[in-house]
Amino acid sequence: MIQVDQLTKIYDDLSRGQFVAVDRVSFTVNRGEIFGLLGPNGAGKTTVLRILSTVLAPTSGHATVAGYDVVSDPASVRKSIGFVSNNTAIYDRMTAHELVSYFGRLHGMTSKELKPRVDLLFDQLRMNEFRDVPGGKMSTGMKQKVSIARAMVHDPPVLVFDEATLGLDVLVARNLLEVIRALRESGKCLIFSTHIMSEVQRLCDRIAIMHQGRILDIGTLDDLQARHQQDEFEELFFGLLSRFESEDENSWNQKISFDVNAPRSGGAAS
Amino acid sequence: MTTRSDSQSRRRPETEKPRFSAIRLIYIREMKDQLRDRRTLFTIALLPIMLYPLVGTLLLQIAQFTREHKTSICLIGSEHIQSAPPLVRDGSFVEPYSELANNLELQVRGMESLEENDTFASATERWIQDGTYDAVIIFPPEISADSDRSDEPIASIKLLYNVASDESQIALNRVTAILAKWKENWVSETLAASGIDTEQLEPFELQDIDLAPERTREAAFWSKMLPFIMLVWAMTGAFYPAIDLVAGEKERGTLETLLCSPALRSEIVWGKLGAVASFSMLTAVLNAGSMLVTSAFVFQQIGIAGSTVGAPPVVPMLWLFVALVPLSCLFSALALAVAAMARSSKEGQYYLMPLMMVTLPLVMLPMLPGMNLTAGTSLIPVTGMFLLVRSLVEGQFTEALLHLPMVFGMTAACLWLAVTWAKRQFENEAVLFGGQDQWEFSMWVRHLWRDRQPVATIPQAYACGAIILVALFFGRLAASGAPNDLAGLTKMIISPQLGLILAPALLMSVMLTTSIRTSLRIRLPHKLSIPMAIGLGISLHPIYLTLGKWIEYTYPVSEEAQRAMLPFVEQVASIQWQYVVFLMAFIPAICEELAFRGFIFAGLVRQGGRLRAVLVTALLFGISHGFLQQSIAASCMGVLLGWIALRTGSVLPCILLHFTNNALSVSLSRIADLNLPAFQLILTNTEQGPVYQPLWFLACMGMTILFVFYFAVLRSPVDESNLVEYFPQQDKLPDTTNAEAG
Repeated sequence: MIQVDQLTKIYDDLSRGQFVAVDRVSFTVNRGEIFGLLGPNGAGKTTVLRILSTVLAPTSGHATVAGYDVVSDPASVRKSIGFVSNNTAIYDRMTAHELVSYFGRLHGMTSKELKPRVDLLFDQLRMNEFRDVPGGKMSTGMKQKVSIARAMVHDPPVLVFDEATLGLDVLVARNLLEVIRALRESGKCLIFSTHIMSEVQRLCDRIAIMHQGRILDIGTLDDLQARHQQDEFEELFFGLLSRFESEDENSWNQKISFDVNAPRSGGAAS
Repeated sequence: MTTRSDSQSRRRPETEKPRFSAIRLIYIREMKDQLRDRRTLFTIALLPIMLYPLVGTLLLQIAQFTREHKTSICLIGSEHIQSAPPLVRDGSFVEPYSELANNLELQVRGMESLEENDTFASATERWIQDGTYDAVIIFPPEISADSDRSDEPIASIKLLYNVASDESQIALNRVTAILAKWKENWVSETLAASGIDTEQLEPFELQDIDLAPERTREAAFWSKMLPFIMLVWAMTGAFYPAIDLVAGEKERGTLETLLCSPALRSEIVWGKLGAVASFSMLTAVLNAGSMLVTSAFVFQQIGIAGSTVGAPPVVPMLWLFVALVPLSCLFSALALAVAAMARSSKEGQYYLMPLMMVTLPLVMLPMLPGMNLTAGTSLIPVTGMFLLVRSLVEGQFTEALLHLPMVFGMTAACLWLAVTWAKRQFENEAVLFGGQDQWEFSMWVRHLWRDRQPVATIPQAYACGAIILVALFFGRLAASGAPNDLAGLTKMIISPQLGLILAPALLMSVMLTTSIRTSLRIRLPHKLSIPMAIGLGISLHPIYLTLGKWIEYTYPVSEEAQRAMLPFVEQVASIQWQYVVFLMAFIPAICEELAFRGFIFAGLVRQGGRLRAVLVTALLFGISHGFLQQSIAASCMGVLLGWIALRTGSVLPCILLHFTNNALSVSLSRIADLNLPAFQLILTNTEQGPVYQPLWFLACMGMTILFVFYFAVLRSPVDESNLVEYFPQQDKLPDTTNAEAG
């Protein structure tokens, strides 16, 4: 469903010069799978996901979503993707219902298709009580639900959640994770990025650990634990980060080429 | 501000056509969103509807107040004018002066009451200063008319007033009028007494008749005032929604939501542009309408007698819509493009101020006296449209119709450029997701040095152009008059060329780029393009001269300027031919081309900026020529030079073309003076100087087409608009990514 190959993004930055935000990142995500991107702040997760949602263009490398190339066919990519991020806010002066319908209409849905779909989403996400509340008056949890409904209104095969639990209270965050699990059951392809390890552990089928623009390792939780001989996930994560920072760059390059191929054989099985 | 990496920061333009339904959807949403905002409603609707009637009421009250305010005058020494024709009696002016003394409070004081006081002068001055009287008239004792005045100096009546006070000024005017009339009567009485017929003193009478139809007379004031007010409001009305719809949405995070929706960038731009333009027009119409209604009422009430300002004619003002729609769209597109650079609403306001500063003069220009719709003014953006509407309002339809194509052509071109700019802003990552980091001078200098590239960056190219223009401006200010010898002339021509045009470009090239040759575009072009450039220079010259003549006809050079140029022209004519060619063709061709078609062009052409590079360098090149007529011709030439620079990928053909053109211009009269039989087929000497033969002109047109065709099919050896090759970090990446990038 999603194929990312040697994706690189370089910014011109005043203080750091040419700053490599994403450095030769490769991974694949399959249908019915939740793929977790785990990394500290500034690891490049958001940049990767922004490239996938075609908001940013890559400096080099390729990415396809549902078979469409993000560079050459961005419009088709946007039609098959739903993007929820803490950067994608909702309009203050629009009610929940208006907003979801608006994005449905932008997707080219007719009123006939739109009405049952919006009703279904509002039921599923339990949003009916604030159907006519304008965005400015909603709580963070309500806003997040509206964002999810907005991203799902056209029933896309791929859904991307970028730090989606940020700022949510425990109850709402838990609800969100349930929604995401339910989406996997219906065969969607999901990417979930976060810096919270427990969420990844509970939710994701496969995990990619990102740091300083690189993917340090990819695999199922069991794979990772076996490969690094470390049962404690938190220890594993920090160990990987500190080893990356101390080791020579070249040895990591070889490691990456090895790691990228590994999940392709084992990933779908999980 | 952080800028994104060069090679990829702009995504490739979308190939899909914008869908009308999506544009409408976005437009309706933005309109609803703005209308739900109380602040917007207040500024665009409530404020104009309330503001003008309130101001009108205030005006009416002030008018009543001023009518009731009396002017107080003190008259001292009336006892000295007993023998003169009567002026005052019983503390007021007598007939016929009393009609001029309406609303005037007069106090007559005797001289003797004050003369005992040694501070007479200070007392009267104090009266004026503390406002006891608005004016004081003092008749000195010498004025007594019965004395024989033939050998005495003329007695002076003193009028004390205070220029800083409006009341005092008014008092002065009124008193002067009364005294003038009194003097007139005195003179005629004296003349009559000595037996002269006073009738003869007035050989004629003036009677002025205004032939302007009533409609025009009324429209004259309003056709200047109302479009101005309307356009200023159209501008203001575009700014705030533009800031809110782009910078505000960026700040609130809703822009990214829209960007990752299936709406195309072009659909977003058109939708938002429509909304901004609607608000711009709405603001303008509501303001102008409210003002029109209020002022019609106020003028009816006040009824200023003898004033040319009447109540505004309402129906002809409907013509204003002809200008409002395109100009609102133009302002909106500009505001949208500029607002896109801001990261927050607050920043947006800072960015829009300079835009206002640039557009305001174009709106004010038509207000200047003597500005009329001509071929020249019709080509000035905004101003032309303004003048067109003025002639429509005043009912001069033939004149308006004559200039209509030019005005609309110019406006359409500006509109297209502005919309293209706005669309490009929305395709530019650096603009939409510009960095959040702090700017610091030392960090910036380090960044300039550390991240040098083989050619200038776009901001550096713009900076170079700005430096050259500013340096030239001050250089011209500092230049002292016409030179009187050869050395002076040489200095006058060479120093700005080398010091103010070439030096900035060369310095920036050395300090800010890694390769002088690449950054100045010194490359070997295709071999054939060298003779072709020279050929084009020769064949184009007659056309260039014709263009120059047309420009001089449309925008005539003032006689003053011509006179100022004369010593310069004469001096040039007296120097040896080779030296003139060196000074006026060789030096400018090298300096100007290396700066404009070299350094600046190389920077601007990056990131797919072919059109930008050609147009901006042409404009800079034009402006650098100092005065209007030359600037226009040079800008046209600049477009061609830029196009050649683009096609050949090198600055050398441009230098040759530029040199050939200049060399021909300075040597034409000398060639004609040679009277060689071979040249007589090409040139003839006329009173206005040498002129190309018509047959040669035609041949040149044909040749030009051929040469242009050659350059059109030429393939540039380098693609400068796609500068992946210059990326220093690319060599660190694997080979595969290098090949795929782009």
